[in-house]
Amino acid sequence: MFRIPKPGYLELVILLLLVLSASLVEAVEQIKVGVLSHRGDEATLKLWSPTAEYLSLTIPEYEFLVVPLDFDEIQPAVANREIDFLLVNPGIYVVMEVKHRISRIATMNNLVGKNKMNLFGGLIFTAANNKDINSLKDLKHHSFMAVDKTSLGGYQMAWRELAANGIDLHSDMKVSFGGIHDEVVQAVLSGKVDAGTVRTGILTSMAEQGMINLSDVKVLNAKTSDGFPLPHSTSLYPEWPFSKLHHTSNELAQRVAVALLAMSELEPAVQWGEYAGWTIPLEYQPVHDLLKDLQLSPYDNIKAFTLIDVIKKYFAWLVIITLFIIVLVAMTLFIYRLHRKLEESKFVLEQQHAQILNSVADGIYGVDLKGNSTFVNQAMEKITGWKANEVIGHNQHELLHHTRMDGSPHPAHECPVYKTFVDDEARFIDDDLFWRKDGSSFPVEYSSNPVHDEQGNTVGSVVVFRDISLKKQSREAERKYQDDLAHVARLSMMGEMASGLAHELNQPLTAIATNADACIRLMETSSDNGRVLEVMEKIGKQARHAGDVIKHLRQLVRKEKPTLSKVDINKLIVDVLVLIKSEIDKNHVLVKLTLEPELPSVEVQNIHIDQVLINLIKNGIEAMKQNDINERFLFIESSVYNKNAIKVIIKDSGSGIPKHISDYLFTPFKTTKENGMGLGLSISQGIISAHGGKLQMDSTGTAGTVFSFTLPLKAGARDD
Amino acid sequence: MTEATVFIIDDDEEVRNAMVLLMESVGLNAMPFVSATEFLKHYDAKTPGCIVTDVRMPGMSGLDMQKKLNEIGAHPQVIIITGHGDIPMAVDAMREGALDFIEKPFNDQRLLDSVHRAIEKDAAERGIAMRLAEIQDRVASLTRREKEVMELITQGKRNKIIADELCVSQSTVEAHRAKVMEKMQAESLSELMRMVLSLEAD
Repeated sequence: MFRIPKPGYLELVILLLLVLSASLVEAVEQIKVGVLSHRGDEATLKLWSPTAEYLSLTIPEYEFLVVPLDFDEIQPAVANREIDFLLVNPGIYVVMEVKHRISRIATMNNLVGKNKMNLFGGLIFTAANNKDINSLKDLKHHSFMAVDKTSLGGYQMAWRELAANGIDLHSDMKVSFGGIHDEVVQAVLSGKVDAGTVRTGILTSMAEQGMINLSDVKVLNAKTSDGFPLPHSTSLYPEWPFSKLHHTSNELAQRVAVALLAMSELEPAVQWGEYAGWTIPLEYQPVHDLLKDLQLSPYDNIKAFTLIDVIKKYFAWLVIITLFIIVLVAMTLFIYRLHRKLEESKFVLEQQHAQILNSVADGIYGVDLKGNSTFVNQAMEKITGWKANEVIGHNQHELLHHTRMDGSPHPAHECPVYKTFVDDEARFIDDDLFWRKDGSSFPVEYSSNPVHDEQGNTVGSVVVFRDISLKKQSREAERKYQDDLAHVARLSMMGEMASGLAHELNQPLTAIATNADACIRLMETSSDNGRVLEVMEKIGKQARHAGDVIKHLRQLVRKEKPTLSKVDINKLIVDVLVLIKSEIDKNHVLVKLTLEPELPSVEVQNIHIDQVLINLIKNGIEAMKQNDINERFLFIESSVYNKNAIKVIIKDSGSGIPKHISDYLFTPFKTTKENGMGLGLSISQGIISAHGGKLQMDSTGTAGTVFSFTLPLKAGARDD
Repeated sequence: MTEATVFIIDDDEEVRNAMVLLMESVGLNAMPFVSATEFLKHYDAKTPGCIVTDVRMPGMSGLDMQKKLNEIGAHPQVIIITGHGDIPMAVDAMREGALDFIEKPFNDQRLLDSVHRAIEKDAAERGIAMRLAEIQDRVASLTRREKEVMELITQGKRNKIIADELCVSQSTVEAHRAKVMEKMQAESLSELMRMVLSLEAD
């Protein structure tokens, strides 16, 4: 193995035969044996092809081929299953065993001199004349030559041995590599380097060939082992193994192993290969240990498991993990701060919430679906007298809303707050009653708005209420003002009509007085009692009529709280015409009534409606003053309007209202009359709208002016 | 000669009927009208009596009716009744020849007195007018010479002077004079003179 024999003819012939047989027997499956080609492909083929040939002959179903592989080619060849068997040094074998699960099937016997050896070791030596170096310890700070970094016997064994003796080959010495064993021996003996290492057998071999003299060599740390005749400085390790790849069938491997073990040292292939046959595969644990110690592949990543190693090896990971932890910590901090901020915000929001709730003058409280209060604000406590803890969790309806204005109980199912849950509609109630803790009540307006959760389900409502006592008072005051104003307007109107009204009253009085006088005379002069009785009845009727007129007048003039009553609008119109008759006559106006019979009655304040009618009739009369006496017609119509109201139309035959006046018709204190207040129409409009109706001017022009108003049939009165 | 009638004009039925009743209670003949226009439609100047009318009525007012009657030369006795009399209206009514102006409600006696007065006055006026017409008829029966003689007699001239002025004999004048006295149915010179004066005054 270590010497290069000269190629002979025989070898060439065999090679030729091999090539021929390979090409002839195509059907035979080719088995590739990868061989470490540390001395060149040619030498490798020459050394190992005979062995392959031997195997082909022994196992004829297969043709074995040698595939020389460089150090670099082995790994890919194994990984890619380009070969079926592998023959490499123990170091590489161990790597492949670990990495690619190859397994040895035989260990080579090497030939050292005449001896078969399946073990080998390393020899550390110096020149015999070197006085400075007598032990391994003396090697420190000296130059040292080894064969190759991958050489097991010529480098790694010595490295391990030195390390075991406390010497770091790399830091304590200057190491160089000779490439081949012979070069190392020559370099040490020539004094080029102070010491060196080669595998066992080399020195013996060289001495046999007369290349060196063994006495010139001083072996350091010389050991002897049983059964191993050669001096060695390191432990012994098994020789090259023949191994099968993982994918190679066991059956074939078995047959190959048997063939190899059966090879006699006399076998030509053995001699070509310059070895001494095969033994059963040895234990390669020592090689594993060596590689582990030296932290070489495949154990280059294990090393001594120091913290620094860990750091070195996992630096990237450590960095990543550290970064990760930093990020994690940072994020935790961030989240923590965020959380704190959120808590703070929440606190601030809650405070704001509370502040807002409590700074509102309106009472606010929440209600859940059971009708229990969920929160209340300070205003609610202040207004109702209930404390928050007395209200929250209790039924709000029973506390605040149990009884109606008229004193009747208010059933919970009619409570607008609950209705809000049911139909999910916001509500505004402008006139209701809430009860205080002390049992007193106060008028309220309130809204009830549904509250939803994230899914949009109604979960309750929020009620905002306001004590409207003051508002009611001011509303009352406003109404009173309106009443006063209407009253003043009525008085003013009566004033304008005074003489006419006096005439109107004078008529029945005159009739009464005259009739009475006539009766007396009749009774004096004749005995026609029948006639007298008839006249007396008349007198009574006339007196009552006069009384009615006065009563009506008093109502119009008197300022008293008017009440709603069911009224026949037609009758109202006729009554009003009595009052205003003299006005009509004086102005030679002809009144034409078109009253719908069977008109449904409406609930109104008759005095107010009288006022409106008188006002409109007077306006109509006024509008016709410029007309010829024979062309003064006032039409008054009543009818049912849209089935839900009564409509009264008052139409004159005047010449219309000029635009500059009609624009301000309903504006208070705008008047065209010398002694008018300008309140008539604005008050009339106020009255009709208070009844829920509408007063408007429908048209005006040369054909006259039409005013109309409506009064709803159903409880139209809004405010008062 | 037909019976005197009280024409009552008032748009108010009650008042109108009451007044009619009042008139009837004292035996007066009364005729109601609902408006001035209605009354004018039926008015007959030959019917004696008087008018009692309200001032303020739809259509024509009492005062307007008065004016209308004056325009057509009729001068019936008119009593104005008012519910709201004022001085200008009263003055107006009186200027137009109203006999009285009474405010409602009125005292029955006051109205009745006024009505009686009006009827009397109407009757009196109607009597004067009749006598005048008689005198005129008599005057119309005179010849031209007789009229001349009557004129001169009523001037207080003596027969002799009249004869000179007319260039006739005194006996001729005396004959004419006797004829005038006969035709004029005058029993004395003073009566003849009253007749002629009443004609001139008219």
